[in-house]
Amino acid sequence: MENLVALEQSAHQHIKIDTQKAQSHAENINMIPVVMAELNQIAVQQPIVFAKNSETGEFTLNALLGFEQHENLFYQHSQWQGVYLPLQLQRQPFFVGDTHAKQTQYPVCINLNSPAVINNRAQSQNDLEPIYTQNAEESGYFKKIKQCLGHLLQGEIDNKKLIDTLLQHELLQPLSLEVTFQNSQKTKLNGLYTINQERLAQLDSDQITLLHQRALLPAIYTVITSLGQIYPLIERKNAVLNLADD
Amino acid sequence: MNQQNKKIKTVVVVGGGIAGWLTAGRLAAHHKSNTPDGLNVVLVESPNVPIIGVGEGTWPTMRSTLIALGISETDFIRECEASFKQGAKFAKWVDGSNDDFYYHPLVLPLGFSKTDMAGHWLNNTAESTSFSNAVCYQEAICEQGLAPKTIRTPEYAALANYAYHLDSAKFAVFLQKHCTQELGVKHFLADVTQVNSAKNGDIASVTTKQQGEISGDLFVDCTGFSSLLLGEHYKVPFMPCDDVLFIDTALAVQVPYENEDESIASHTISTAQEAGWIWDIGLQHRRGVGYVYSSKYSSEAQAREKLKEYVGDKIESLTIRKIPIKSGHRSHFWQNNCVAVGLSAGFLEPLEASALVLVEMSAQMISEQLPHTRDIMDITAKRFNETFSYRWEKIIDFLKLHYILSTRDDNAFWRDNRDPKTIPQSLQDLMKLWQYRAPADHDFTSNNEVFPAASYQYVLYGMGFKSDYSTTSYMLKDTDFAKSQFDKNKSMINQAVTNLPSNRELLNKIKSHGFSTI
Repeated sequence: MENLVALEQSAHQHIKIDTQKAQSHAENINMIPVVMAELNQIAVQQPIVFAKNSETGEFTLNALLGFEQHENLFYQHSQWQGVYLPLQLQRQPFFVGDTHAKQTQYPVCINLNSPAVINNRAQSQNDLEPIYTQNAEESGYFKKIKQCLGHLLQGEIDNKKLIDTLLQHELLQPLSLEVTFQNSQKTKLNGLYTINQERLAQLDSDQITLLHQRALLPAIYTVITSLGQIYPLIERKNAVLNLADD
Repeated sequence: MNQQNKKIKTVVVVGGGIAGWLTAGRLAAHHKSNTPDGLNVVLVESPNVPIIGVGEGTWPTMRSTLIALGISETDFIRECEASFKQGAKFAKWVDGSNDDFYYHPLVLPLGFSKTDMAGHWLNNTAESTSFSNAVCYQEAICEQGLAPKTIRTPEYAALANYAYHLDSAKFAVFLQKHCTQELGVKHFLADVTQVNSAKNGDIASVTTKQQGEISGDLFVDCTGFSSLLLGEHYKVPFMPCDDVLFIDTALAVQVPYENEDESIASHTISTAQEAGWIWDIGLQHRRGVGYVYSSKYSSEAQAREKLKEYVGDKIESLTIRKIPIKSGHRSHFWQNNCVAVGLSAGFLEPLEASALVLVEMSAQMISEQLPHTRDIMDITAKRFNETFSYRWEKIIDFLKLHYILSTRDDNAFWRDNRDPKTIPQSLQDLMKLWQYRAPADHDFTSNNEVFPAASYQYVLYGMGFKSDYSTTSYMLKDTDFAKSQFDKNKSMINQAVTNLPSNRELLNKIKSHGFSTI
């Protein structure tokens, strides 16, 4: 259960964050939401795919982490295995409060039930980061977290612009993937979408100019390129399966 | 130019109910009326005649119709108070007891195309569940009030086959807007006062009070029960079938929900009564409920009492509309250059929502087979008449089937329904065939059968009919395959009830988020 509260210096002065344990929030997910600004970093390690939000049906942008429902091949040995940590993991256990209310300042909140929240030194062997300095000022670590949350907020706007434009030009298509692993085990990935390259090639110069003006072309090509990461992801799965066989 | 080789350039649709707008829309979409060289489609509608608005139930064909018209499913659901319909539940039709019900779902029986699943079900004494529950996962979905898809399913795509319930008044307005703004249909609000004939007996034009004379090459009669062109002008006779289907009156009422979270049934509920049956259709904002009965077997006061028993005391504050029903159809539907679609062609009790599907089928055939010139129109007319005479007869047979297997004995209405004198010979023949085997596709001859063999199976075996395989048990040796299908159906039921949202929940999500097109 999550216990989400608005962060307050007076109440949370002594809390420290175990940043490695913060990564455990990725333990049981096979996709993590990503934003446009980090696509270059994501593309060197994971396939970037579109999926639909189960509550709203709206398209989301994600890094694919595994083939089964709760499988994250990038989280092994209690640690994130990639060179780049997605913003959605970097921000843990913090998040932005209600973004629907009409306000310009969003409150920073914390999930007090996160395993990364340490109230007592004895609870962890790892390096810990304070939220506040002894002078009750925001720590360097927390300033970075706030930057990260800022990127995520901006990312929501960027992603929406990307997705709306892709839909408007009918540039999304379902991605059907049937994968056979080394041990002949098969899996079928449903509910994923990617760029329709055939359609992209048919756009006229005005449409391409529009994508260029909206600065969406790099993201579009990065998403396409990232699909090649399916193969390393299959290799990761094979490695896990081999390990299980031994 | 020879009058007979005259090119068909203008189609005039008379009447602006759902039949009129669907026909005009299909014609305009198919023949590109919104382009300069497209077909000229004109709809003339009286500003004074209210639309009847029959049929709030549709078939899955409505999805292909809306797609053909270029309509977004999200817009349609939002603007027409539409909800999902996954078939019909028939309650109290067999013996009238409280747990007496069966389903006619929209998904074909699992394994239907591979083997005689009905025969295997009849033969499988271990399978204690009903036929539809044994071979189809949709009954379980409906019983739990679940939707046929999720918000992630693209528009018009289905996880379980579905149709709609809709608000017919709002649907007519919605279609009018789409047809005039997007498809290029020209709309005139005018009362037709006179029909003007050409020398060859065709309709040359109609004279209207407000817009003068409107001429055309083909006239579509969508004037409702008055059947202004086909019935009044051409005197094409009406063929009643009240000797087969006894219903002649409807008492309809709109029932508000108790609260905004009340569950919306995702199927039509038809509950048999002493002299007919009550329909119950859940829309987003209200239910549509009505008692259709035979006035020969029930007084209006008795009927109102039955309707009150069903709806409850709140009916006192609601308006009950009485609608006379004349069961039957015109002897033919296309005469000269005039074709009737909708109530002007005929009407049958709404037991299987056949009204709108006939409109859709007519509109589709007229638009896809629209004769290029006048001289070939008579061929199209002949084929249209043959096709639709067959369809009306088949629908009458299928509706009658619901009555003849009942064992209800509470009123002469039910006993008389079982009297062979009231059962068409064509249906009696089929029933004889099915004494020894299940209905199969080859029992029917049309390439676009209104009710497929599977529908007959759902009704027959839902009502407890037994085909006797005792001398042909060699036909039922696919037991392993049949069992695998029964098992598969069970796991599909489990999966469906875990993953599908409630009908109400999905409708709310469509209102706030909408479906995506992919």
